[in-house]
Amino acid sequence: MSFDVLDEEFVALVGPSGCGKSTVLNMIAGLVAPTRGTIRLDGRPLAGVPAQVGYVFQKDTVFPWRTVAQNIELGLAYRGLGRAERARRVREAIRLVGLEGFENVFPATLSGGMRQRVALVRSLVVEPEILLMDEPFGALDTHTKLRLQAQLLALWTGKRQTVVFVTHDLAEAITLADRVIVLTSRPGRIKHVHAVKLPRPRDVIRIRETDEYAREFRALWRVLGEEFAKADQGAGRGEVA
Amino acid sequence: MTDRTRVAVWRLLILAVLLGLWEGLTHPAVTKSVSRVIYFVDPFFISRPSAIWSRFWHLNSAAVRVPLWQLLLSTLESTLLGFAVGVGSGFVAGLGLGRNAKLAAVLYPYIVAFNSLPRIALVPLVTMIFGFGLAAKVVLAWLIVFFIVFFNTFQGARGVDPDLIHSARFLGASERQIMRTVIVPSALAWTFASLTPSVSFALIGVVIGEFIGGESGGGIGYLIIASLGSLNAADMMVALLVLGITGIVLALGIHQVEARLLRWRPEYQARA
Repeated sequence: MSFDVLDEEFVALVGPSGCGKSTVLNMIAGLVAPTRGTIRLDGRPLAGVPAQVGYVFQKDTVFPWRTVAQNIELGLAYRGLGRAERARRVREAIRLVGLEGFENVFPATLSGGMRQRVALVRSLVVEPEILLMDEPFGALDTHTKLRLQAQLLALWTGKRQTVVFVTHDLAEAITLADRVIVLTSRPGRIKHVHAVKLPRPRDVIRIRETDEYAREFRALWRVLGEEFAKADQGAGRGEVA
Repeated sequence: MTDRTRVAVWRLLILAVLLGLWEGLTHPAVTKSVSRVIYFVDPFFISRPSAIWSRFWHLNSAAVRVPLWQLLLSTLESTLLGFAVGVGSGFVAGLGLGRNAKLAAVLYPYIVAFNSLPRIALVPLVTMIFGFGLAAKVVLAWLIVFFIVFFNTFQGARGVDPDLIHSARFLGASERQIMRTVIVPSALAWTFASLTPSVSFALIGVVIGEFIGGESGGGIGYLIIASLGSLNAADMMVALLVLGITGIVLALGIHQVEARLLRWRPEYQARA
């Protein structure tokens, strides 16, 4: 498997479950060492967890013993920023994701969607160059998911990080990404790379009603559906695209 | 009447009935002669509330060499010292071993073996080494509290969610910062949860120490043993009641501290 992700590009990895999407992401994050091959960041091979990477898990990884504001502040504190600067950036981040009024609340009282918003801004507030997201909205209901997608797009449009977004939701991939990489079922290989030709800025709700979106969805679904069918016949061997 | 006051009223009612029965049944039923009195329940063994009440004031007065409140202070001092030392050392040891898998694997059987040893069997040894005073009582309380706190912290430190550690690392944390902001708070949650039972067990350790320690050790435990020597049921009951109330106050106090420290937990959030 080989693919490049460009600067400021939003790439989505989709594929049947168990195809190794998350493993690929963890390799980019430096959490898992590849058995063969190398991962290069700005041309240099990766060693350990890179400093300029932010990571949002599907699982709730907000620290329960810290309030919302303290959670968001954490990355800034690790980097040794002064108190005033931290407070300013936290205030701005909280405003951006609409968590005003919840600054001093512990995560236990928040909904799953709000906690995931905290996790998202916590990663973004340290201004990473690369943002890795492992099904970050996978555990949320449709309404919350759409709202968070919209917020993610708004935040990304402002700062333009390089994003690698793992999901099994094709609609989500098309809505968010510049390019969608479809992986085959086990063993995971690249089945197809698809450039999403939808204009930005995108409205996560309205875009679904457009013909262009329907065309992209059909085209990708044909590829992904083929993969599912192959997997069902027990002959899920894809070629490297 | 709210549910809470209703519960309180019932509790008081039960107390009043029990005290009334106790008092009533321990008074003479039949007096045949000065030397032959028949009781429903002989007060020789369980005394009676009125006698306990008067002994309580007597034991607190200047008529006795060491007044009751001084005995209580001695017990409290040893309990709190043993508790503090036990919690501190148990936490450090639990954290150290919890984050060092190799060391834990090597030492674990020894720790389990030592913990399986009934603590009371160590009392004579501790007395031999530390004598009859404060030190021995503190050591006994420490021996019990240490293991409770140690095992809890150990579990907590070992069970830290790796994804929380990864998250901190992605946010730019150094190993030291991960220890301070992820592992210690996670482990502390377990440690705090062990504080309330620990303080009760510290009290047990101290009282056992006082049973052996005699007059030089002092404390409420000594009063119990001394009343056994003089076959004085009223004094023994005074000691037991004081001990019971002390236990409740300590446990409630520590529980308040626990609730404050763990206020981020869902179970404490609901009440906030």
